[in-house]
Formats: sequence, structure tokens, C-alpha cells
Amino acid sequence: MKKRVTLSVLSLSAVMALSACGNNSADGGESGGGVKLTMMSTATTKADQQIYKEIVADFEKANPEIDIEDTYPGDGYEDLARVKMAADDMPDLFDTHGWAKSRYGEYTEDLSDMDWVKNLDEAMKPILTDDKGKLHAYPVNQALDGMSYNKTLLDEYGIKPPKTFDELMAALEEVKKKSKGEVVPFWLGGSDKSQFGQYFDEFATTLLITDKENSHGEALLDGSFDWSNYTYLPEKLKEMNDKGLLNKDVLTAQVTQGAELMAQNKIAFTMLNGSVGREVSELNPEVQVGTIPVPAIHEGDSPSWIGGERHTFAVSKNSEHKEEAKQFIEYLTQPEVAKKLAEGTSLPDALTNVEADNYFAEFYKEYEGTQIQPYFDRVYLPSGMWDPMGATGQELIAGTMKPDEVSEKMEQEYKRLRAE
Amino acid sequence: MAELTKAPEKTSMKTKSAKWKRSRRESSLWWMYLPSVLIVVLFIVYPFLDGIRISFTNWNGFSQTYDYIGLDQYKRMFADPDTWLVVKNTLLYGIGSTILQNIAGLGYALLLNHNLKVRSFTRTIIYLPVIISPLIMGYIWYFFFAFQGGALNDIFLLFGKEPINALGNPAVNPYIIVFVNTFQFVGIAMIIYLAGLQSISKDYYEAANIDGATGWQKFKNITIPLLMPSITINMVLNIIGGLKLFDVIVALTNGGPGNASQSMSTFMYNLYFSRQDAGYAATQGVLMAIIILVISMAALVYFKRKEVEA
Amino acid sequence: MDQLSKQAKWLLTGLALLITLFHLVPFYILITTSLKKVGDFTSKWAFPTSFNTENFTLAWEQANLGNAFINTAIITIFAAVLLIFFGSMAAYALARRTTKLNKYVYMLFVGVMVIPPLTALVPLYRLVVDIGLMNTHLVAILNNVAAFMPLTIFLYAGFIRSTIPKELEEAAKIDGASTLGVFFRVVFPLLKPITATVLIISSVYIWNDYQFAIFFLQDSSVQTLTVALAGFFGQNSSQLNLVAAAALMASLPMVIVFLFLQRFFIEGLAAGSVKG
Repeated sequence: MKKRVTLSVLSLSAVMALSACGNNSADGGESGGGVKLTMMSTATTKADQQIYKEIVADFEKANPEIDIEDTYPGDGYEDLARVKMAADDMPDLFDTHGWAKSRYGEYTEDLSDMDWVKNLDEAMKPILTDDKGKLHAYPVNQALDGMSYNKTLLDEYGIKPPKTFDELMAALEEVKKKSKGEVVPFWLGGSDKSQFGQYFDEFATTLLITDKENSHGEALLDGSFDWSNYTYLPEKLKEMNDKGLLNKDVLTAQVTQGAELMAQNKIAFTMLNGSVGREVSELNPEVQVGTIPVPAIHEGDSPSWIGGERHTFAVSKNSEHKEEAKQFIEYLTQPEVAKKLAEGTSLPDALTNVEADNYFAEFYKEYEGTQIQPYFDRVYLPSGMWDPMGATGQELIAGTMKPDEVSEKMEQEYKRLRAE
Repeated sequence: MAELTKAPEKTSMKTKSAKWKRSRRESSLWWMYLPSVLIVVLFIVYPFLDGIRISFTNWNGFSQTYDYIGLDQYKRMFADPDTWLVVKNTLLYGIGSTILQNIAGLGYALLLNHNLKVRSFTRTIIYLPVIISPLIMGYIWYFFFAFQGGALNDIFLLFGKEPINALGNPAVNPYIIVFVNTFQFVGIAMIIYLAGLQSISKDYYEAANIDGATGWQKFKNITIPLLMPSITINMVLNIIGGLKLFDVIVALTNGGPGNASQSMSTFMYNLYFSRQDAGYAATQGVLMAIIILVISMAALVYFKRKEVEA
Repeated sequence: MDQLSKQAKWLLTGLALLITLFHLVPFYILITTSLKKVGDFTSKWAFPTSFNTENFTLAWEQANLGNAFINTAIITIFAAVLLIFFGSMAAYALARRTTKLNKYVYMLFVGVMVIPPLTALVPLYRLVVDIGLMNTHLVAILNNVAAFMPLTIFLYAGFIRSTIPKELEEAAKIDGASTLGVFFRVVFPLLKPITATVLIISSVYIWNDYQFAIFFLQDSSVQTLTVALAGFFGQNSSQLNLVAAAALMASLPMVIVFLFLQRFFIEGLAAGSVKG
């Protein structure tokens, strides 16, 4: 009997020793006397990540007692975030990437009493504040997305940036013709579903929202939307593929190749935004990247930028270091830092007291006055539609789904997720 | 000596109630396997049962609230074309890899069953992939099959042909996955067959030679029947392993394009994490468990029977 | 089967070499790709013009392989030790004491082998969260122990039943040893072959595991080699030379161990399969 007791005690202590060992490695850092903050950002491209790493390093230098463990899960961010939400284990600082209220709302700390709030750009206010006045996150920059293109090539071919979808199709054909098939007119890094998602998401706005006579916003919000109205988008995408206007390896191309290919003048139009411009020009200074708002689809309608959250930082409601986390955010709001971040990510900043020189500044100026619409899926679709939006695109091009089946699948998921 | 003193104890014990079964002779020594049972129950049995429970809900995987919706998920699963696609792939990966691995493994074993100088070296190289992570094996073959800069396409280009996008082609990429999986584990089949071959007594063959049997006859009537135990093990192990395939798929195609090359495991992962569809993921899990159970039982029974016959 | 003509032997040797060459192709590609500079897009078949080791240092740092290596080692070693310790004990009890209870327990273990790991995943996830063990080494260790326990017990029990004569244990008991003493001092040392097999099979599998690690060890501080590698691939999918370098380094430990202990790997598998 004594032996059995000894055995159980030994086993138990072994297990406890292991758990202590395990926990130390996972949390480690508290003991140093300083504070360790965990941070997660959606910055995906090398250029974006680099700028954040620099800023974090600068902050740590200015605040030696604070150590930030910054992570950039890339396209695995959302999955990881869901996992962490389920565990109620959000990092001290995390990116809400457009879902501050509708997905992450329960996990954020209210920031409305911070100093920078009075300088917050009006456009961002309603996106980040809920009707109770809670401000969920600090926007590092704003999305101002459309399509980016190789301006150098287009100028060479004498092609004007398109304002409508028909003009876009014509432009793509021109590129193919003028380059004798050497340049890919429309490139997607489709091994990542989000590339297809980006196409659908952005064009859904001009297809279903902006045109006064074809506005389905209400129907989408109350669940009565007729999804056959969506079929135009998969049909057009398939048409592009059939005409050879998409890259041959669209289903396996990697997003990270986009900048390299554009720098080599091998592709014309993409759905990449933000820092792609800087990245391309750094690879090849002779290539200039341009950006256009999303072309209109219906007759008489005008193009639209897609705006809203891009990179943000929220403070976890359960954070044990809220003060220090807020300190980091305050650091980001300083004009020089905010400017550096905005310029580094090639997107407009979200504070009125900051003047940033943007890679795309001339283009933004050219299209000043263009309406800015929020991201379609963030407003009009339940959370969780992003995956099928992209996946159906892949299946469409792979030939396993027809355009009307794409709409059917979207409808199925839409109904299911609304009911959740 | 000890026997004599214990005997009277034993008889008196037998007349007492079951609780007194704790005599040294009869005790089940439960405390020796208690920790193991606890770990297994906690990490496998309980979650599995809970998974069955979740399959009756519409839980999204991270919110605190959800509803019980009866058999809706099951109805949905049977009506969903993706389910059948994914089951088909899973069976392909399981059975396809098994067949290929066993044919190749047996072939290699027969080849190496001679006293060749290169035998040891070849054996090592063929077995090497077994100890490498399937994820890494997938990446290595990705370098081979990739559209841009893949080794295979280099060969095509060399002959002036168009490069192919094997990994992006839904009709083709499941077979690539089967190939890579086979390549990785054929070494195990080979070793098991080699051991089996070497345990067959030479006398059988000598007797057959005297009778004038041909090579094929010897193979069919001596080798195969006596190899049955090895065949059983290989088949059962390979099938179960193939059905559970995950890492290789993630590395090569990530289940794409769309869901074309998903196995049930990768599909479940996708449902849970990216589709916010935990309830449905659990339902697929139940189906997967049933399929694996049925197939492995069937395989076991089939091959054991063949063993007995032989 | 070894009465072959010299001609036949040459033919077979040639065939074997051809096959070996075929099997070497992926390794060749891996090694040569890892030695090429980033941005070198020459054919995968081409031999590198210069040996660049910078890929290795870059990959090591960026993928945080040192940390991943330690995590993987910790998890594998502890899991293997626990498997052998608890598994052999459990097998002994189940092999030697065939009470009704034990029969059911044994069936439980065998039955569990069929459950695909991922079906238990979703609720296991919740459970782990509730206990508070997310992103700890402990959860990975225990999970792997649970996963391999049935096979371990199966192997040990089979071996004990068929190979260890009861007389030894009875002799020790007569000498006054306790059950535990009998087990550890008499039986366990005789289990070396199976211990070796279990050690090898489970270590290789746990070391290379991705399915479970990706779920429970996503925090960069506790990532194992496979998880770190997968993340690294995602970030560098257009710079395969770096990925190749990382993959090579991640596989090296197991390969080295294998090459030194080949005999145990292969013979353990062979012996186990023949015994049945």
C-alpha cells in the first residue's frame, strides 16, 4: 500500500513539475521585473511587418521596462484569433482588421477616454464606436482599397485606368494584345482564398450597393436578399479566366509573389493594396505602381474606394497590463510615429493632426471626392462569410463550380451564419 | 511452501463478497493502469463523446451560446456534395495509398531479399522518408510539383512542352497526394515484408523446386500465403494511416482548390477554424470515426481470415 | 532464393540502384535548393554554383528554429518517458491479471486506437481551454501520451504474454518482493526490445507531429519544429530556398539519430511485425 501511495504521489508531482515547466515557457518574462505585452497584427507583407517591427523596437527603446512580443500570423491571423477568443485568451494588443464591433466587440477595452480620440478622423468614428459610445480600437491606418496596377506598363501601352467594369475588361484585353501574351493582365495569388475574396468583396460594393437603382443593402441586412444578383461577379471572373486574362497558375500562385512579378513587369492589374507600391518600387525603382478605386458596374454609377479598418490595435478586456498597452497606443498616435506608420504601409492615417506622404498620394489626390464605401462583407454579411467567398472563387476557376452554384453556396452560408 | 499457507486463505476469500477480490492472486492491479486510463479517457474518450454531443448543435466554435438542433447537421451532411467529395478523397487516400504501398513495398522486399551489395544502402534510403515529418515530405514534393520553378515543369520545359499546374488541378492533385504518401511510407511496408520473407523456411522452396514449380507458382502458393500475417499488418496500418492523412495535404495543396483535395481531417479543421462551423465539424467527425471503424474492422477480419486459411 | 547467376545479380543490383536513385531525387532537390542563394531561380535540378550557408542562418533566426527545437525535444522526451513508464505498467497489469474488469479496460484501449484524433479535437480544445492548459508543453505531452498509449499497451502486453515466463515473477514474489518491485526489477528489464520499439515509433511520430501541435501550440513561444516550419512556409512561399534550408535543419536531428540507430529502428519494426 505504501508503494502505491508513493507511486501516485510521484506521478502527481512529476505531472505538476511538468505543468510548472510548461507554464514558465509560455508566460515567461514576468519575472524580469518588467512588463511583457503580447501583440498580434494582421500585417502580412514583408514591407508592412518590417515597419511594425521598427516601431516596436523604437517603443521598447523609449520604454525599457516594457517588452513587446509582436507576432504576425499572416493569413492565419483570423483562425488564430478565433482560437484565442474561444480560449478567452486574447493578446494584450490585437488587430481587429474590420471586425472591431461585430466580431471582437466582446473582447475589447473601451478606449474612448484616450487623448487621441479628439483627433480621430470622422470617417473612422462610426466604424469603431458602438451605439453605447464604446470605442473599440485605435486605427493605425485606413483602408483605401481598389485595384493596384503597373502604371509604367499601362502608360507604355497607352491604356487609361478604367472607370467601369467594361472598361476594365477592355483594358485587360489590351494588355494581353499589346504584350503578345507576355504580361498577365489580371493577377491573383489564388492559392490564398483571400485573393479571390478580395475580388468578390470589393466588386460586390459597386455591384450591389452603390448604384441607386441596384442597391440591395436593405435586403442584405434583413435577410431577404436574392443571391442571383451576385452571379454577375463569378460569371465575369470565369469569363476572364476563359479568355486567358488571369494568370495560368492562379490557383497555386502565392500572394507574396505579386510584388516580385510586378517589379519584373510581368503583371498588370492586381487586387493588392497598400504597401505593394512601395515594395515593387524598392525591388525595381523603374516601375511605378498606381491605384484606382473599384470600377463601377452599373450604367451611370461611379467608382468607389473601399475604406474602413485596415490595421488597428485593440486592448484586450482581460489584459493584465492595460496601462502599458494603452501606453503603446499613445506612442503610436504621436504625429511622427503615426506618419511613419502610414507611409510605411502606404495607407492614409486616421488622425486629423497627422500629415503623411503616401506612395499613392498623387492617386488619392486624383480621385479626391470619390465616395468611400465600407467593406461589403463587414457591413452586409454575417461574420464568417469571408472563407466561402474566397473558396467559391477557387472552385469556380478550378471548374468544380458554376457561377450560379457560387451564388447558391454563398446563399447557403449566408443563411447558416445569420442563424448562428 | 507458500502454496500451503495461502490455500486456506483462498477458500475463505472465495466465500466472501466481491469486494474482497483483492487477494494478491485475483487483484486486477488497477492502480497500475489507472494513470493511463485517466489520460486516455480525459484526452480521447471524453472529447470524442462530447464531440458527438456537439454534432447536435449549431455551435460556431467560440461563442458562449448555441442551440441544440437535433439531427439538422446530419441531414445537412448527407445532402452536402462536399461531404461526398471529401469522403471520396479520404477513401482514395486510405485505400489508394495502401494498395500502392503494399505493391511497391512487396516488390522492393522481393528485390532486396537477395544478397546484393547495395542492399543495406538501398534499404536505408527507401526507409529514410519514414522518419521525416510528413509536412516536410509534402514541402519537398511541393518543390517538385510547383508550377513556378518546380522540378517537374523544368523537365517539361526542357522538352519544349507547356508547364503543368499539377497541384492546382482538382482532377490530378489527389493522386499526387496519394503518391507522396506512398513514397513516404513504402519503407515500412518493405521492412515488414522483408522480415516476413526471411521467416519463410527455404525448405518450402526447395521442395517446390524439386516438384518443378515455376517462379510464379512458388510465389502464389508459398510466398503469399506464408506472408499473410505481414500483409495483414501492412494493410491495416496503412489504411488507418491513410484515412487520417493531414500533414501532407496541408503542405501540398492545403485542401485546394476550394475543397477539391480535402480529406475528412483537413475539412474538419477548415470547418472549425475558418468557417466558424464547429457543430458541423463535429458531425463530420462522427462520420469519419464510423468510416474508419468500419473499414479497419473489415480489413482486419478479411485479412485475418486469409491468414487462417493459409 | 540466393542461388542466383552472376548475371541475375548484376541485373538486380542495377535495378536496386535505379530505385535508390529515384528515392534520392527529393533529397537531392531539398539539399541543392537550400544551398542556393535567395533569388536564385535556376532549375531545381541544377547543382548550386556556390554553397551558400546564409540561408541556414537566416532561416534559423526567422523561423525561430532554436526555440522550436527545444520545445519539440522537451515534448518528445517527456512524452516518451511517460508512455514507457505508465504504458508498460498498465500492460503488465492487463497482461497478467485477466479479470473481467481488465478485459474491458483492455478493450477500451484497443477501441480507442480507431478514433481519429481530429474527431476529438473540437471538444478537446474547449476542455484544454477550460483547464487553462492552452499553449503549454504539458498539454502537448499529455495529448501525445494519450494518443500512443493504446499502441504502447498493445505492444507491451503482447510481448509480456508471449515472451516473459511467469516463473520469474513468481520466484521473485516468493522472495518477498512487492508487485511493483517484481515489475520494475524483474520484468521491465526484459522488455527492452519493446521499449526500444515504442521509444522509436512514438518519438518519431511525436517529433514530426503537426496535426495536434498546430491546434494547441500556436503561441510562438511553444511552437514545435513542424508548426514553426509551416508558418515559415506561409511567409516565404516565394522564397523556397529559405524554406528548404529550414526544412533541412528541422529534419536533421531525426535523420542523424536514425542513421546511428538504424538497426534498432528497422529490426524493432521487423521483429514486431513477425511476432504479430
